[in-house]
Amino acid sequence: MLLSELINKCGFDVVTANDLNKEIKDGYVGDLLSDVMGNAPAESIWLTVQSHVNILAVATITGVKAILLCNGLSYEEETIEKAKENGITLLATEKSSFKACMSLFEAGLR
Amino acid sequence: MAEDKVDELLQKLQKYFSHITASEIMNKNVITLTSERTLWQAKELMKIRKISGIPVVNDQRKLIGIISIEDIIMALEKNYIKEPIGDHMTKRVVSFSPDEPLESIVSKFERYHFGRFPVVDKNKRILGVISKKDIIRAILERFRLIYVHDERRSQILEKEAEWFDKSLITGDYVKKSDADFVFQINYTNVDLAGAGAAKLKSFLTKKGIGETLVRRVAIATYEAEVNVVIHSESEGAIYCWIEKTCIKVRVEDHGRGIENIEQAMKEGYSTATDHIRELGFGAGMGLPNIRRYSDQMVVMSEVGKGVVVEMIFCERG
Repeated sequence: MLLSELINKCGFDVVTANDLNKEIKDGYVGDLLSDVMGNAPAESIWLTVQSHVNILAVATITGVKAILLCNGLSYEEETIEKAKENGITLLATEKSSFKACMSLFEAGLR
Repeated sequence: MAEDKVDELLQKLQKYFSHITASEIMNKNVITLTSERTLWQAKELMKIRKISGIPVVNDQRKLIGIISIEDIIMALEKNYIKEPIGDHMTKRVVSFSPDEPLESIVSKFERYHFGRFPVVDKNKRILGVISKKDIIRAILERFRLIYVHDERRSQILEKEAEWFDKSLITGDYVKKSDADFVFQINYTNVDLAGAGAAKLKSFLTKKGIGETLVRRVAIATYEAEVNVVIHSESEGAIYCWIEKTCIKVRVEDHGRGIENIEQAMKEGYSTATDHIRELGFGAGMGLPNIRRYSDQMVVMSEVGKGVVVEMIFCERG
Protein backbone atom coordinates (compact mmCIF):
# COMPACT_ATOMS: atom_id res chain seq x y z
CA MET A 1 0.00 0.00 0.00
CA LEU A 2 1.23 3.50 -0.75
CA LEU A 3 2.60 5.45 2.18
CA SER A 4 0.42 8.47 1.32
CA GLU A 5 -2.67 6.27 1.41
CA LEU A 6 -1.78 4.90 4.86
CA ILE A 7 -1.19 8.40 6.21
CA ASN A 8 -4.54 9.63 4.91
CA LYS A 9 -6.50 6.71 6.25
CA CYS A 10 -4.81 6.67 9.68
CA GLY A 11 -4.44 10.43 10.18
CA PHE A 12 -0.80 10.35 11.23
CA ASP A 13 1.11 13.65 11.38
CA VAL A 14 3.82 14.05 8.78
CA VAL A 15 6.94 15.52 10.39
CA THR A 16 9.18 15.27 7.38
CA ALA A 17 8.17 13.65 4.15
CA ASN A 18 10.41 12.04 1.63
CA ASP A 19 8.65 10.24 -1.19
CA LEU A 20 5.11 9.47 -0.05
CA ASN A 21 4.51 7.36 -3.14
CA LYS A 22 6.65 4.60 -1.71
CA GLU A 23 5.08 1.20 -1.36
CA ILE A 24 4.79 -0.02 2.25
CA LYS A 25 4.61 -3.78 2.39
CA ASP A 26 5.01 -4.58 6.05
CA GLY A 27 5.44 -3.15 9.51
CA TYR A 28 7.32 -3.63 12.74
CA VAL A 29 6.96 -2.45 16.34
CA GLY A 30 9.97 -2.15 18.63
CA ASP A 31 11.98 0.12 20.87
CA LEU A 32 15.12 -1.95 21.23
CA LEU A 33 17.31 -1.02 18.31
CA SER A 34 18.98 -4.41 17.95
CA ASP A 35 15.63 -6.14 18.00
CA VAL A 36 14.40 -3.89 15.21
CA MET A 37 17.70 -4.31 13.40
CA GLY A 38 17.38 -8.06 13.51
CA ASN A 39 13.70 -8.37 12.71
CA ALA A 40 12.24 -5.38 10.86
CA PRO A 41 11.43 -6.25 7.25
CA ALA A 42 12.60 -3.95 4.45
CA GLU A 43 10.01 -1.62 2.90
CA SER A 44 8.13 -1.40 6.15
CA ILE A 45 6.77 1.18 8.56
CA TRP A 46 8.38 1.09 12.01
CA LEU A 47 6.40 2.03 15.12
CA THR A 48 8.48 3.11 18.10
CA VAL A 49 8.86 5.48 21.04
CA GLN A 50 12.55 6.11 20.32
CA SER A 51 13.13 9.56 18.87
CA HIS A 52 16.87 10.15 18.94
CA VAL A 53 19.09 10.22 15.90
CA ASN A 54 20.21 6.58 16.04
CA ILE A 55 16.83 5.42 14.74
CA LEU A 56 17.88 6.75 11.34
CA ALA A 57 20.87 4.41 11.19
CA VAL A 58 18.53 1.53 11.97
CA ALA A 59 16.01 2.60 9.33
CA THR A 60 18.69 3.16 6.70
CA ILE A 61 20.31 -0.20 7.25
CA THR A 62 17.15 -2.29 7.49
CA GLY A 63 15.43 -0.47 4.63
CA VAL A 64 12.53 0.80 6.75
CA LYS A 65 10.81 3.53 4.70
CA ALA A 66 8.90 5.40 7.40
CA ILE A 67 9.14 5.76 11.17
CA LEU A 68 5.99 6.39 13.23
CA LEU A 69 6.67 7.90 16.64
CA CYS A 70 3.85 6.97 19.01
CA ASN A 71 2.38 8.25 22.29
CA GLY A 72 2.47 11.91 21.24
CA LEU A 73 6.26 12.11 21.57
CA SER A 74 8.29 14.47 19.43
CA TYR A 75 11.47 13.99 17.45
CA GLU A 76 14.74 15.63 18.32
CA GLU A 77 15.81 18.37 15.92
CA GLU A 78 18.88 16.41 14.81
CA THR A 79 16.75 13.38 14.00
CA ILE A 80 14.57 15.42 11.66
CA GLU A 81 17.58 16.85 9.84
CA LYS A 82 19.17 13.44 9.47
CA ALA A 83 15.91 11.99 8.17
CA LYS A 84 15.83 14.58 5.39
CA GLU A 85 19.41 13.66 4.47
CA ASN A 86 18.66 9.96 4.39
CA GLY A 87 15.30 10.12 2.67
CA ILE A 88 13.33 8.57 5.52
CA THR A 89 9.78 9.77 6.20
CA LEU A 90 9.06 10.67 9.83
CA LEU A 91 5.51 10.41 11.14
CA ALA A 92 4.00 11.00 14.55
CA THR A 93 0.80 10.13 16.36
CA GLU A 94 -0.89 10.58 19.72
CA LYS A 95 -1.85 6.91 19.64
CA SER A 96 0.03 4.16 21.41
CA SER A 97 1.93 1.64 19.31
CA PHE A 98 -0.90 -0.83 19.85
CA LYS A 99 -3.67 1.55 18.76
CA ALA A 100 -1.58 2.73 15.82
CA CYS A 101 -1.16 -0.90 14.71
CA MET A 102 -4.92 -1.29 14.79
CA SER A 103 -5.31 1.79 12.57
CA LEU A 104 -2.78 0.38 10.12
CA PHE A 105 -4.64 -2.91 10.07
CA GLU A 106 -7.96 -1.17 9.48
CA ALA A 107 -6.35 0.82 6.68
CA GLY A 108 -5.55 -2.47 5.01
CA LEU A 109 -1.88 -3.09 5.82
CA ARG A 110 -1.40 -6.81 6.44
CA MET B 1 30.47 2.33 47.56
CA ALA B 2 30.05 5.51 49.59
CA GLU B 3 32.29 8.38 48.62
CA ASP B 4 34.15 8.55 51.94
CA LYS B 5 34.75 4.80 51.88
CA VAL B 6 36.45 5.21 48.50
CA ASP B 7 38.62 7.97 49.90
CA GLU B 8 39.54 5.85 52.87
CA LEU B 9 40.45 2.94 50.64
CA LEU B 10 42.57 5.16 48.43
CA GLN B 11 44.36 6.51 51.48
CA LYS B 12 45.27 3.02 52.57
CA LEU B 13 46.28 1.76 49.16
CA GLN B 14 48.35 4.72 48.06
CA LYS B 15 51.11 3.88 50.54
CA TYR B 16 51.85 0.69 48.64
CA PHE B 17 51.75 2.30 45.27
CA SER B 18 53.40 5.65 45.89
CA HIS B 19 55.68 5.21 42.87
CA ILE B 20 52.79 5.29 40.40
CA THR B 21 52.51 8.57 38.48
CA ALA B 22 49.70 10.36 36.69
CA SER B 23 50.88 9.21 33.26
CA GLU B 24 50.49 5.57 34.32
CA ILE B 25 47.05 6.06 35.80
CA MET B 26 45.41 8.36 33.31
CA ASN B 27 42.85 7.27 30.81
CA LYS B 28 44.28 8.30 27.45
CA ASN B 29 40.96 8.03 25.65
CA VAL B 30 39.92 11.52 26.63
CA ILE B 31 36.58 12.81 25.57
CA THR B 32 37.01 16.52 24.91
CA LEU B 33 34.91 19.30 23.48
CA THR B 34 35.81 22.55 21.79
CA SER B 35 34.48 25.81 23.20
CA GLU B 36 32.03 26.55 20.37
CA ARG B 37 30.02 23.40 21.16
CA THR B 38 26.87 24.03 23.17
CA LEU B 39 26.18 23.17 26.78
CA TRP B 40 23.38 20.99 25.47
CA GLN B 41 25.88 18.88 23.54
CA ALA B 42 28.05 18.61 26.66
CA LYS B 43 25.01 17.45 28.63
CA GLU B 44 24.18 14.76 26.06
CA LEU B 45 27.76 13.51 26.04
CA MET B 46 27.84 13.38 29.85
CA LYS B 47 24.57 11.48 29.93
CA ILE B 48 25.61 8.92 27.39
CA ARG B 49 29.16 8.39 28.62
CA LYS B 50 28.13 8.65 32.27
CA ILE B 51 30.78 11.21 33.10
CA SER B 52 30.57 14.27 35.29
CA GLY B 53 32.98 16.61 33.53
CA ILE B 54 34.51 17.20 30.11
CA PRO B 55 37.77 19.08 29.41
CA VAL B 56 37.49 21.88 26.86
CA VAL B 57 40.36 22.27 24.39
CA ASN B 58 41.31 24.62 21.56
CA ASP B 59 42.30 23.47 18.07
CA GLN B 60 45.82 22.59 19.25
CA ARG B 61 44.31 20.34 21.91
CA LYS B 62 45.45 22.76 24.60
CA LEU B 63 43.34 22.75 27.73
CA ILE B 64 41.37 25.99 28.06
CA GLY B 65 38.68 25.00 30.53
CA ILE B 66 36.44 22.31 31.93
CA ILE B 67 32.70 21.88 31.90
CA SER B 68 31.12 20.06 34.80
CA ILE B 69 27.73 18.70 35.66
CA GLU B 70 27.26 21.66 38.04
CA ASP B 71 27.69 24.03 35.10
CA ILE B 72 25.02 22.07 33.23
CA ILE B 73 22.57 22.23 36.14
CA MET B 74 23.14 25.98 36.37
CA ALA B 75 22.57 26.34 32.61
CA LEU B 76 19.30 24.42 32.85
CA GLU B 77 18.12 26.54 35.77
CA LYS B 78 19.03 29.83 34.14
CA ASN B 79 17.96 28.71 30.69
CA TYR B 80 21.13 29.11 28.64
CA ILE B 81 21.71 25.44 27.81
CA LYS B 82 21.79 26.19 24.05
CA GLU B 83 24.73 28.60 24.43
CA PRO B 84 28.37 27.76 23.66
CA ILE B 85 30.48 26.09 26.34
CA GLY B 86 33.19 28.74 26.02
CA ASP B 87 31.01 31.39 27.67
CA HIS B 88 30.24 29.32 30.75
CA MET B 89 33.06 26.87 31.38
CA THR B 90 35.37 26.97 34.38
CA LYS B 91 38.56 28.50 33.05
CA ARG B 92 40.82 27.97 36.04
CA VAL B 93 41.35 24.24 35.84
CA VAL B 94 43.29 22.22 38.37
CA SER B 95 45.33 19.71 36.42
CA PHE B 96 48.08 17.14 36.94
CA SER B 97 51.47 16.93 35.32
CA PRO B 98 52.36 13.53 33.85
CA ASP B 99 54.91 12.81 36.57
CA GLU B 100 52.69 13.84 39.47
CA PRO B 101 52.93 11.09 42.12
CA LEU B 102 49.91 9.18 43.41
CA GLU B 103 50.09 10.81 46.83
CA SER B 104 49.70 14.28 45.41
CA ILE B 105 46.92 13.09 43.06
CA VAL B 106 44.90 11.66 45.93
CA SER B 107 45.36 14.78 48.02
CA LYS B 108 44.08 16.97 45.17
CA PHE B 109 41.00 14.78 44.87
CA GLU B 110 40.36 15.38 48.55
CA ARG B 111 41.03 19.07 48.47
CA TYR B 112 38.97 20.02 45.42
CA HIS B 113 36.22 17.38 45.36
CA PHE B 114 36.16 17.27 41.56
CA GLY B 115 35.17 14.05 39.85
CA ARG B 116 38.04 14.11 37.38
CA PHE B 117 41.23 15.97 36.63
CA PRO B 118 42.94 16.46 33.29
CA VAL B 119 46.60 15.56 32.82
CA VAL B 120 48.51 18.10 30.71
CA ASP B 121 52.08 18.45 29.44
CA LYS B 122 54.26 21.56 29.83
CA ASN B 123 52.49 23.26 26.95
CA LYS B 124 49.06 22.66 28.48
CA ARG B 125 48.30 20.05 25.86
CA ILE B 126 45.90 17.42 27.17
CA LEU B 127 47.34 13.91 27.61
CA GLY B 128 44.66 12.16 29.60
CA VAL B 129 42.13 12.33 32.34
CA ILE B 130 42.03 10.78 35.82
CA SER B 131 38.95 9.87 37.83
CA LYS B 132 38.90 7.87 41.05
CA LYS B 133 37.89 4.88 38.99
CA ASP B 134 41.12 5.19 36.98
CA ILE B 135 43.19 5.22 40.17
CA ILE B 136 41.50 2.09 41.44
CA ARG B 137 41.91 0.42 38.06
CA ALA B 138 45.63 1.26 38.00
CA ILE B 139 46.07 -0.15 41.47
CA LEU B 140 44.15 -3.31 40.66
CA GLU B 141 46.24 -3.79 37.56
CA ARG B 142 49.35 -3.61 39.70
CA PHE B 143 47.94 -6.31 41.90
CA ARG B 144 47.29 -8.48 38.90
CA LEU B 145 50.75 -7.95 37.48
CA ILE B 146 52.21 -8.98 40.78
CA TYR B 147 50.26 -12.21 40.97
CA VAL B 148 50.23 -13.38 37.37
CA HIS B 149 53.07 -15.80 36.54
CA ASP B 150 55.56 -14.71 33.94
CA GLU B 151 54.81 -17.66 31.70
CA ARG B 152 51.11 -16.89 31.56
CA ARG B 153 51.74 -13.27 30.85
CA SER B 154 53.99 -13.97 27.90
CA GLN B 155 51.37 -16.36 26.49
CA ILE B 156 48.74 -13.67 26.66
CA LEU B 157 51.02 -11.19 25.01
CA GLU B 158 51.85 -13.56 22.17
CA LYS B 159 48.20 -14.25 21.66
CA GLU B 160 47.49 -10.59 21.47
CA ALA B 161 50.05 -10.07 18.72
CA GLU B 162 48.50 -12.91 16.80
CA TRP B 163 44.95 -11.58 16.95
CA PHE B 164 45.69 -8.32 15.35
CA ASP B 165 47.51 -9.76 12.35
CA LYS B 166 45.82 -13.03 11.56
CA SER B 167 42.39 -13.92 10.29
CA LEU B 168 40.53 -15.55 13.14
CA ILE B 169 38.55 -17.73 10.77
CA THR B 170 40.99 -18.84 8.09
CA GLY B 171 44.26 -18.31 9.96
CA ASP B 172 45.70 -16.35 7.02
CA TYR B 173 47.51 -13.14 7.58
CA VAL B 174 45.21 -10.26 6.78
CA LYS B 175 46.56 -7.17 5.17
CA LYS B 176 44.48 -4.30 6.40
CA SER B 177 46.07 -2.03 3.83
CA ASP B 178 44.46 -4.21 1.14
CA ALA B 179 40.95 -3.78 2.50
CA ASP B 180 38.35 -2.59 0.00
CA PHE B 181 36.63 -0.52 2.67
CA VAL B 182 37.97 1.02 5.86
CA PHE B 183 36.09 3.06 8.44
CA GLN B 184 37.43 4.50 11.68
CA ILE B 185 34.85 4.30 14.43
CA ASN B 186 34.29 7.45 16.49
CA TYR B 187 33.57 6.09 19.94
CA THR B 188 33.05 9.48 21.57
CA ASN B 189 29.79 10.21 19.80
CA VAL B 190 26.94 7.76 20.31
CA ASP B 191 24.90 9.71 17.76
CA LEU B 192 27.26 8.49 15.07
CA ALA B 193 26.87 4.82 15.98
CA GLY B 194 25.95 3.02 12.79
CA ALA B 195 27.52 5.57 10.46
CA GLY B 196 30.16 3.06 9.39
CA ALA B 197 27.64 0.31 8.66
CA ALA B 198 25.51 2.75 6.65
CA LYS B 199 28.58 3.79 4.62
CA LEU B 200 29.50 0.15 4.07
CA LYS B 201 25.97 -0.55 2.89
CA SER B 202 26.07 2.14 0.22
CA PHE B 203 29.62 1.15 -0.74
CA LEU B 204 28.63 -2.49 -1.33
CA THR B 205 25.45 -1.47 -3.15
CA LYS B 206 27.52 0.66 -5.53
CA LYS B 207 29.80 -2.33 -6.12
CA GLY B 208 26.78 -4.22 -7.40
CA ILE B 209 26.46 -6.71 -4.54
CA GLY B 210 22.96 -8.19 -4.18
CA GLU B 211 20.49 -6.40 -1.95
CA THR B 212 19.86 -9.23 0.52
CA LEU B 213 23.54 -9.93 0.98
CA VAL B 214 24.27 -6.23 1.51
CA ARG B 215 21.50 -6.00 4.09
CA ARG B 216 22.93 -8.93 6.07
CA VAL B 217 26.43 -7.48 6.00
CA ALA B 218 25.14 -4.05 7.06
CA ILE B 219 23.07 -5.36 9.97
CA ALA B 220 25.87 -7.51 11.39
CA THR B 221 28.43 -4.73 10.91
CA TYR B 222 26.09 -2.25 12.61
CA GLU B 223 25.93 -4.46 15.68
CA ALA B 224 29.69 -4.84 15.86
CA GLU B 225 30.14 -1.11 15.38
CA VAL B 226 27.61 -0.22 18.09
CA ASN B 227 29.43 -2.56 20.47
CA VAL B 228 32.62 -0.61 19.91
CA VAL B 229 30.87 2.70 20.59
CA ILE B 230 28.95 1.57 23.65
CA HIS B 231 31.26 -0.86 25.36
CA SER B 232 34.88 -0.53 24.31
CA GLU B 233 35.76 3.02 25.37
CA SER B 234 38.36 2.91 22.66
CA GLU B 235 38.59 3.70 19.01
CA GLY B 236 38.00 0.95 16.54
CA ALA B 237 37.88 0.22 12.85
CA ILE B 238 35.80 -1.60 10.28
CA TYR B 239 37.57 -3.42 7.45
CA CYS B 240 35.81 -5.07 4.56
CA TRP B 241 37.18 -7.24 1.80
CA ILE B 242 35.12 -8.21 -1.22
CA GLU B 243 36.26 -11.65 -2.28
CA LYS B 244 35.21 -13.84 -5.18
CA THR B 245 32.77 -15.99 -3.25
CA CYS B 246 32.16 -14.02 -0.12
CA ILE B 247 32.41 -10.77 1.79
CA LYS B 248 34.67 -10.60 4.80
CA VAL B 249 34.26 -7.98 7.52
CA ARG B 250 36.45 -7.41 10.52
CA VAL B 251 35.61 -4.96 13.30
CA GLU B 252 38.20 -4.39 15.97
CA ASP B 253 38.90 -2.20 18.94
CA HIS B 254 41.56 -1.98 21.62
CA GLY B 255 39.27 -1.27 24.52
CA ARG B 256 37.82 -2.94 27.54
CA GLY B 257 37.19 -6.35 26.06
CA ILE B 258 34.54 -8.92 26.90
CA GLU B 259 34.77 -10.79 30.17
CA ASN B 260 32.61 -13.74 29.25
CA ILE B 261 32.05 -14.29 25.54
CA GLU B 262 29.76 -17.26 26.10
CA GLN B 263 27.42 -15.08 28.14
CA ALA B 264 27.67 -12.22 25.65
CA MET B 265 26.53 -14.57 22.88
CA LYS B 266 23.26 -15.27 24.72
CA GLU B 267 20.24 -13.27 23.64
CA GLY B 268 19.20 -10.67 26.16
CA TYR B 269 22.52 -10.55 28.01
CA SER B 270 24.02 -7.09 28.17
CA THR B 271 26.28 -5.05 30.39
CA ALA B 272 24.98 -1.74 29.02
CA THR B 273 24.19 1.03 31.49
CA ASP B 274 20.67 2.35 32.07
CA HIS B 275 21.45 5.48 30.09
CA ILE B 276 22.41 3.44 27.08
CA ARG B 277 19.36 1.22 27.49
CA GLU B 278 17.07 4.24 27.51
CA LEU B 279 18.36 5.03 24.05
CA GLY B 280 17.23 1.61 22.94
CA PHE B 281 20.66 0.01 22.90
CA GLY B 282 21.84 -2.77 25.16
CA ALA B 283 19.11 -5.22 24.26
CA GLY B 284 21.65 -8.01 24.42
CA MET B 285 21.03 -8.88 20.79
CA GLY B 286 24.25 -7.62 19.25
CA LEU B 287 26.36 -10.75 19.00
CA PRO B 288 23.29 -13.00 18.50
CA ASN B 289 22.26 -10.79 15.55
CA ILE B 290 25.75 -11.07 14.09
CA ARG B 291 25.64 -14.84 14.35
CA ARG B 292 22.24 -14.90 12.75
CA TYR B 293 23.14 -12.78 9.74
CA SER B 294 26.66 -14.03 9.03
CA ASP B 295 27.69 -17.41 7.67
CA GLN B 296 30.75 -17.63 9.85
CA MET B 297 31.76 -15.50 12.77
CA VAL B 298 34.52 -15.50 15.32
CA VAL B 299 34.78 -13.21 18.31
CA MET B 300 38.03 -12.99 20.16
CA SER B 301 38.52 -10.89 23.22
CA GLU B 302 40.22 -10.55 26.50
CA VAL B 303 39.53 -8.07 29.25
CA GLY B 304 41.51 -4.91 28.68
CA LYS B 305 42.79 -6.02 25.30
CA GLY B 306 39.93 -5.26 23.01
CA VAL B 307 37.63 -7.22 20.79
CA VAL B 308 38.01 -8.55 17.27
CA VAL B 309 34.93 -9.71 15.44
CA GLU B 310 35.40 -11.38 12.09
CA MET B 311 32.47 -12.25 9.89
CA ILE B 312 32.12 -13.98 6.55
CA PHE B 313 29.03 -13.61 4.39
CA CYS B 314 28.26 -15.70 1.32
CA GLU B 315 25.46 -15.41 -1.19
CA ARG B 316 22.78 -17.78 0.07
CA GLY B 317 21.12 -19.90 -2.62
